[in-house]
Amino acid sequence: MAQDKKKIAIVVSENSLDKAMMPMILATSGIALDAEVHVFFTFWGLELLKKNYKPKLKGMMKPFTGMMVKKMKEQNIATFEELRAQCIELGAKFYACSTSMAMMGIKQADLVDGVEVAGATKFLKIALDAQVTLFI
Amino acid sequence: MQADKTLDTRGMACPMPIIKTKKAMDELKDGEVLLVIADDPGAKEDFPAWCEQTGNKLVSIEEKDDDIYIYIKKGE
Repeated sequence: MAQDKKKIAIVVSENSLDKAMMPMILATSGIALDAEVHVFFTFWGLELLKKNYKPKLKGMMKPFTGMMVKKMKEQNIATFEELRAQCIELGAKFYACSTSMAMMGIKQADLVDGVEVAGATKFLKIALDAQVTLFI
Repeated sequence: MQADKTLDTRGMACPMPIIKTKKAMDELKDGEVLLVIADDPGAKEDFPAWCEQTGNKLVSIEEKDDDIYIYIKKGE
């Protein structure tokens, strides 16, 4: 059927609502395209892997988060939590940056199931033969 | 065109129509046809790209009013 599996490698370094949605939409779409999807969460991005995490808009836009979420719902856009669960169900590989975990005092038990703790080397090893690499 | 299964994704936004399609296709046998009904305007470009990349055959894609009817044959 499909050719050799393509690889997509994504780094996520932020935790705002917009930056949270993008990797989830790209990861689910990538899996649907029969690609292997690897997402490395670092710095603030790591928070997106926390159980029950609700991303908000950033900075001055923060008070408008509720409005944005409502608008997305009206447009039938899947929520962050739904998309994140889809990613894991479909087999996207999620990595938590070990250094960021130490820095931010986050333990593996704080994270959703199915996340692997890894360092930059592991991610770059994967990225070296990925056809698509993205930084969010 | 006769479909073996129909998937109505109307009202869903990207990426859900494609995710649901992938899941529905996984349950079909080679040669069977899935009809996807979509109203996300991105579907017109997304579905041909998805079929080409995944080795499924895009049999036809047509617009009826505001809906897009996409017939996909599994495998080759």
